[in-house]
Amino acid sequence: MSFGFELVHTRPNRTTSLLLSWILFCVGIGLYFYTSQKRHHQNPEDRVMPTVTQMFHGMTNASTNPAEDDDALPDNASLRQRLFASMLWKDTVATSRRFIYSILLLIPAVILGLHMGLFPYVGVFFLRFVLFFDKIVALSLLPILFIVFGIDELSKIMLIVIGVTPTIILDTFNLTKGVPNEQIVKAFTLGANDFDVAYRVVMRQIAPRVLNSIRLNLKAVMLFLFAGEMIASTDGLAYRIALLRRHMGMDVIIPYVLWVALLLFLVDLTMRIANRKLHPWFQEA
Amino acid sequence: MALIEVQNLSVAYGAPARPVLTKISLSIEEGEFVCLLGQTGCGKSTMLKMILGAEQPSSGRVLIDGVQHNQPDRTRGYVPQKYSLFPDKTVLHNITFGPEVIEFNCFSRFTPSYWRRRRDIREEAMRYIDRIGLHQRDARKYPHQLSGGMQQRVAIAQALMTRPRILLMDEAFSALDPGTRKDMQRLIRQLWRDTGVTVVFVTHNTEEAVYLGSRIIVLAKENPDAGAEVAMDLRVPEPCHEHQIPVLVGHLERASGSAREPEAVLATA
Repeated sequence: MSFGFELVHTRPNRTTSLLLSWILFCVGIGLYFYTSQKRHHQNPEDRVMPTVTQMFHGMTNASTNPAEDDDALPDNASLRQRLFASMLWKDTVATSRRFIYSILLLIPAVILGLHMGLFPYVGVFFLRFVLFFDKIVALSLLPILFIVFGIDELSKIMLIVIGVTPTIILDTFNLTKGVPNEQIVKAFTLGANDFDVAYRVVMRQIAPRVLNSIRLNLKAVMLFLFAGEMIASTDGLAYRIALLRRHMGMDVIIPYVLWVALLLFLVDLTMRIANRKLHPWFQEA
Repeated sequence: MALIEVQNLSVAYGAPARPVLTKISLSIEEGEFVCLLGQTGCGKSTMLKMILGAEQPSSGRVLIDGVQHNQPDRTRGYVPQKYSLFPDKTVLHNITFGPEVIEFNCFSRFTPSYWRRRRDIREEAMRYIDRIGLHQRDARKYPHQLSGGMQQRVAIAQALMTRPRILLMDEAFSALDPGTRKDMQRLIRQLWRDTGVTVVFVTHNTEEAVYLGSRIIVLAKENPDAGAEVAMDLRVPEPCHEHQIPVLVGHLERASGSAREPEAVLATA
């Protein structure tokens, strides 16, 4: 089939690109509300596809009132008190805390990967084991973790660590291996020692790529975090979503899902901007 | 005692050992500008790596000032063809990297003496930037913002900042266009004269070797399966005028093509 021109070489202009890129969003939103309206006409009690008003009420409620299983607020509480005691806020804080711990635990993984890539003895010592570890399906370990570490915070964070750490270690390892040997030799001829080479030459060069690798693995981190929260937790965004499923609280579930997506997007954006600001020399290959 | 002493050096790679260099003995005196010349794949870069200490020989040894060095260190500066600068550091930081890592480890970088010393190092680096023909404002640029020739200029300054006695250059100008290359050759000749550093320069370009070197060592293989040996070892008469170069190149290429008679070439030179 031919249009008389090559599709590869026809580029939309700015306005067209903007319009085209938003079409699917509009179609999706439109389709949802159309179906939702139709279902509510047939059955005003419909809980599967809440209307905007219902979702708005659900979220206003979630962001100004404590959860049902939480202590109730006095009636004269200020808006600020209400916000910080609300279900949404407490869930977000709980999930964020676990998320930050897991991201911090990736730092040792990066350092281990760097040392494995740079020092052959360390590499030989760890590589086979990490490769093996990488093949274990982390979620299958969840019951074991709950048995060993109990169902509190530790087991959830361990799940994330076990799930994501091997990937980050191996990624850093490969990135370190990818640094041209000339650079390392050059550093030694300039009088650097092993640790200068590791932290002042190699680490700084791979830092932007490591950050990108962590960014790509944010999804995996969230996946393990949500799995842990849904199965065994008493707070957190995923716990709430799982809990509301029992009484079909779609008016809160859908905004929660979008809220998580927004948060993840913001984290990703922050990391992207930070990466660009911290490493102005970095050229995306 | 010569500055670089290569004794009976043999190198072989691979599981059924494939010889690259066979029983090479050389001695290089302080202040020489030695060009290692040879065709692609004849082992001249391997030879340089042996002097550099980045790889170990199968047998034989390399002595630097009478001492065997098993890994690269600051006695020998190095300028490779590619990846010669740290991409994450500005031109100024690239040049000051050597003195900084020698004098200060990761932790002493937070002491006042570091800040005082760093000013001096920076001043010296700026003098080098002038000397290699860059603008002061280039000091803040990153390597990817410079042309290939500029990058190699910075790499030479970076290597010379630590005042090595030996400078090893591996096809350092081979990726540059002819005009830039000529400038670079002039620059390195000048720096060699000014600093008295001993240079070992690997190249596959006869003209470059004749123009630069005070001594040319040609590596060649008897047959494809054998390791390379020193086919010719000759001194370039000094001063060598530019108009003599084509003649010398002709002699050299004819000689390395047919019988390997160093004396014949020396006589004509």
